[in-house]
This record gives sequence, structure tokens and C-alpha cells, in this order.
Amino acid sequence: MQFPLSTSEIILWLAFTAIILLVTSELMSPYSEQFGDFVIEKSRLRIAALVLGVAFIVTVLVRVVAPI
Amino acid sequence: MPFGKSENSKEKELDAGERAESATVKYLVESLQAVQKENELLKMQLAKSRQVPAGRIGFVLLIFGVLALAGSIWSASTVLAFIGLGITFWGALFLFVRPIRFVKEALLEWNAISSYKIIDRIIDDLGYKGKALYIPPYPKDVYLPEYLKGLKEMVVLIPDKDTAAMPTIEEMAKGQFIVENPRGICITPPGFGVMSLFEKELRLDFTKLAPERFPSVLPKLATSDLQLARNVQISTDKSLVHVKIEGSAYKDLYSQERGLKSIHLVGCPLASAIACALSKATGRLVAIMKDEISPDLKTIELWLQVLEG
Repeated sequence: MQFPLSTSEIILWLAFTAIILLVTSELMSPYSEQFGDFVIEKSRLRIAALVLGVAFIVTVLVRVVAPI
Repeated sequence: MPFGKSENSKEKELDAGERAESATVKYLVESLQAVQKENELLKMQLAKSRQVPAGRIGFVLLIFGVLALAGSIWSASTVLAFIGLGITFWGALFLFVRPIRFVKEALLEWNAISSYKIIDRIIDDLGYKGKALYIPPYPKDVYLPEYLKGLKEMVVLIPDKDTAAMPTIEEMAKGQFIVENPRGICITPPGFGVMSLFEKELRLDFTKLAPERFPSVLPKLATSDLQLARNVQISTDKSLVHVKIEGSAYKDLYSQERGLKSIHLVGCPLASAIACALSKATGRLVAIMKDEISPDLKTIELWLQVLEG
């Protein structure tokens, strides 16, 4: 029994999710934090998006420095 | 006798009429109470239906995600692993971006009305018509003896007529409400709380903020940080400061239906907070010289004067 995803698949997932979140946080109206019935903290969404983006870049750098 | 009979019948008719009227009033009051009760119940139901339990959704997603991840390890399924990873991530994100607490924007305005009504009553009663002067306090970290502690409080002076003088140190130190020289009243500005919040966000006392940084720091605080307005522009021309506020959360306080007079004297809480901050940053008296409000209330323009002395 082992985790079925390889590093490259996780990197792909990170990139995909980071792009979605970054675009969402950028497109969100600067005035309203309301998505229909949801109220969210926009700054936190942005932090999450940036963390994922940085994680993706780090994993890419790791692969460049030490290719598997 | 016939006259007496007719009088009796008239009295009876009147009694019957009164009884019918009181019965109708009673019925109407009861109906009104029932409708009010129903209204309250409906309001509660509406509020309940509006509350989306983001936290609960997050937990549910997290649980399903973890189960999917565990299932993917057990069955060595890549698809299940991707699903699990996605659901777990979104569950965690839901919990992370959940706001601490948000209140409706209208509450800010309704909360502020009473303060302005009180100021209106006071200035109407005393007949004061002077332009309000924001008086800078001493910095918080400066040592002052106990009897001068009042000098550390931010106050706005509403004088009986236009003046550029500030009350004596003794009157200020005592924290007097009515001051004699110049004649006027000293009150806590309506924007004092908002200004304190600005300082908390900035982690800086405005007395330590360089006045030239004021036009760049304040708009960001009011818009993207605290979201009290959609856009704030501050421009300075020597001692005159022009403030343009668009989409203010307090815009309805300026509406003619409210009929608040003091709002034009001391400004809305946001304008008042800007005046307080300016006064603290420059260490000088600040007066709201003029305000202009667009007919749709979307744009509020203020001209603040930093007074010498």
C-alpha cells in the first residue's frame, strides 16, 4: 500500500489549483467579499493562493536542481 | 315620555356603537399582534436560511476528502487520490477563508445615527453654529501628570461661532464638556472609534505618522483593509486637504430624509476619523471647511483646513 500519486502529478495538481485560486482572488471585486450567500475573507484566500503558487515553484525548482 | 324614550334609545345606540368600536379596535390590535409575531418568526426563518454554515461544509468536505485519500492508498487508485486531494484541499480552504464575523453594512449607519441626533439636539439647544475644530491630543506614550491626563483625549470643539482658537489647557485637562474660552462644547469625535481601528490596523499612533505619508496610508486603510468605502482620495494643497470618498458605508447618514445637521459639522464617522488622524499626524487644529455630497450620495467631498498655531 502506497500513495498512488507521483511527484510530477502532485506538482501538476499544485499548479492547477494555484492558478484557479490566484485568478479567483484577483477577479474578486475589491469591494465585496460575498459570493452569493457565502461571505469569505478575501485576504486569506489570497494567502492560500500565494502559498500554493510558491509551493508549486519550489517543487519545480527542486525538480530542476535534482531531477528524479 | 316619548322624548325620554327617544333619549334612551339614542343612549343605547351610542353604547352599542361604542361597544362595536371597542370590539373592532380590540380585534385590530389582536390581529396586529398576531401579524407582528408572524413577522418576527418569518424574519428569524429568513435569517436562518441566509446563514450558510461554511464551517460545517468545510468539515464535511475534509472528512470525505480524507476518506477518499485513504481509499486511494488502499485501492492504489490515482483518480481517487486526485479526488481526495481536491476535496481535502477545498474543505481546508473553506475552514480557512471563513470570516471571523461579518455584520451588515447598514448596521454601521444605524448605530451612528443616535450620536448625531444627540449632537443635533445639543447644538440646536445651545444655538452653536461655528465650524467644528478637531483638537490633537498628546501622544499616548508621553508622560503627563494625573491632572493633565485629559490632554491625551481626542476631542472636537463645536464653538458658538467660527473661531480658530482652542480651549485653555485647564479646560482641556479637566475634560470639560462646556468650555468658555472660546465658548463651545468639547465632545469625543464620532470617528474616534474608526480612527482607533485605523491605528490598530496600522500598529502605529498617528502622532508618529509623517504628515506627507498621510495621503497614501489612509485611503488603503479605509478601502482595502477595513472596506469602509470603495475609493478614498486625499490630496493636499498647502494647509488645505481635499478628501473624496466614493461608496462610503456611511453615505446614507447624509441623506436629506435623515435631516442630520451635525453630520455637516463634524463629518460622518469615516470623515471624522480622517480629520482626527490628520489632526494627530500634523499636531494641529483641523476644521471641516466645506462638504459636498452628490445627489445619489455616492460621492462625498470634504475640504479640511489644517490651522496654524
